[in-house]
Amino acid sequence: MTAKERLAAILNHQTSDRPACICPGGMMNMVTAGLMEASSSWLPEAHRDARRMAALAEAAYKNGCFENVGVPFCMTVEAEGMGAKADLGNNITEPRITAYAIRSVSETDRLSELDLGSGRAKTVLDALKILKSDCPDVPVIGNLTGPVSTATSLLEPMIFYRELRKKNRESHVFMDFVTGQLLRFGLAQIEAGADCIAISDPGGTGEILGPKYFSEFAVPCLNRLVDTFRERGVGTIVHICGQMSPVYREVSGIRSHALSFDSVVSMKSAREHLPDRVLMGNVSTYALEFGDPEKISALTKNCLESGADILAPACGLGMKTPLANEQAILSCLKEVYHG
Amino acid sequence: MEKEQLFQKISDNVVEMEDEIVEDLCRQALDEGFDAAETINCGLIPGMDRVGVLYEEGEYFLPEVLTASCALNAGLDILRPHIRKEETGSRIKIVIGVVEGDTHDIGKNLVKIMAESAGIEVIDLGRDVPLNDFIDTAEREHCDIICMSTLMTTTMPGMKQIIDQLKERDLRDKYKVMIGGGPVSQKFADEIGADAYTADAAAAVRKMKELKGRI
Repeated sequence: MTAKERLAAILNHQTSDRPACICPGGMMNMVTAGLMEASSSWLPEAHRDARRMAALAEAAYKNGCFENVGVPFCMTVEAEGMGAKADLGNNITEPRITAYAIRSVSETDRLSELDLGSGRAKTVLDALKILKSDCPDVPVIGNLTGPVSTATSLLEPMIFYRELRKKNRESHVFMDFVTGQLLRFGLAQIEAGADCIAISDPGGTGEILGPKYFSEFAVPCLNRLVDTFRERGVGTIVHICGQMSPVYREVSGIRSHALSFDSVVSMKSAREHLPDRVLMGNVSTYALEFGDPEKISALTKNCLESGADILAPACGLGMKTPLANEQAILSCLKEVYHG
Repeated sequence: MEKEQLFQKISDNVVEMEDEIVEDLCRQALDEGFDAAETINCGLIPGMDRVGVLYEEGEYFLPEVLTASCALNAGLDILRPHIRKEETGSRIKIVIGVVEGDTHDIGKNLVKIMAESAGIEVIDLGRDVPLNDFIDTAEREHCDIICMSTLMTTTMPGMKQIIDQLKERDLRDKYKVMIGGGPVSQKFADEIGADAYTADAAAAVRKMKELKGRI
């Protein structure tokens, strides 16, 4: 089975020779100093250069870290395109938002439509085209920042979370706009060659929103994206951060092919609560950065035994993560399955 | 309206996140000639305490806590100018921030809100705070507790650096150090020699009061 066939089979509940090991990109960054050296492509330059971005994504596959290629490596592309200001960081810190675009959910009309023909949105689309042609047997993953996380990159989160109740109607208008822009970007990513779309929404967790607002805002927006992408025949992965216990029932209503969790969730408990879902996760990124390959093998085996269908880091990798550690999940998996 | 009855209504409406009603009731308390400080301590603060309990029990989440704290602050804005004499006494003073390299500040903000509602004085350094600023601010502002937060594993070592710096500057016993954030744990707190780790904002405030007793 090629890596691409394997991931497609797993996502569609079909038989595969073994679990897959991926790191999608986006919030779940896989770029490290080791991969920058290996590919001679460096951050922050690669955040705005499609060829370098593609080279870095390919390095994660070529160096035996993960069985996919994915872009971009941050969560700021969408919000920057709609009017927020971003600092692209450096070779050890990731890009971040430095100025919000609006001051209240009632200012939605001041946001720009995401321009897919220029800026970093175009960089991402161009990088996907390069990856599609360079790596025909490897799943190409396009990444989106989740709706609530994009919203809280356009507007100070404390204001946003407060206005969900105080300006409920305007909050829905705002979220509709944001989700609509993400939908356009995701469809363009599919057009550019993405086999799978991964959506990470750390700002929209059940732990932060609580079940009421999680099901009122996060779930419908995610499903609007997922349902549309599914119709185009691509795979979909939704990564949810934080404790799942307040919202297991609501999470089960997210219609993506796969669900991914961070390391505070035990894979075993996720498996019990979501018996029929394709689950992805969740090797601690702390262990990946500060542990050793032996520790990572132990965590990998634990994920496998607990019922993970796709092995992945629990979050984005710290850029100082040693290459040997970054390779350890996949090498452990291959060892267990003898290839 | 009876005083106790009015205070209870103020408390209830903080819990119900009704800022305009809280404002009206606080004005009414002043009109009735009730003491402003007493209205705060027996109406507004108990309401916010109940919000803290609801948060801990998983009934309320961040949006509810933020909205309730808005109602609290609306009431405080009306009552504070009428406090006859600022209560002196040993108020706890803390410095708080998200350590350098990390900009995730939701948890930190929640701790700040809950601490302030409990009458603790908070110096908020914000996010992505240069490590030196924590100790320098604590020294300059005569704080009791240094509170650090991070959501990223990559910035956790910064917390240890601050504790090491305190030791190097011979200040370790002068301050209590509290840490928190998604990847942080009691085990990590023990490893780096922090005085306390708490899992959520309500527990953090309780711990601050407890630690202050030991300074």
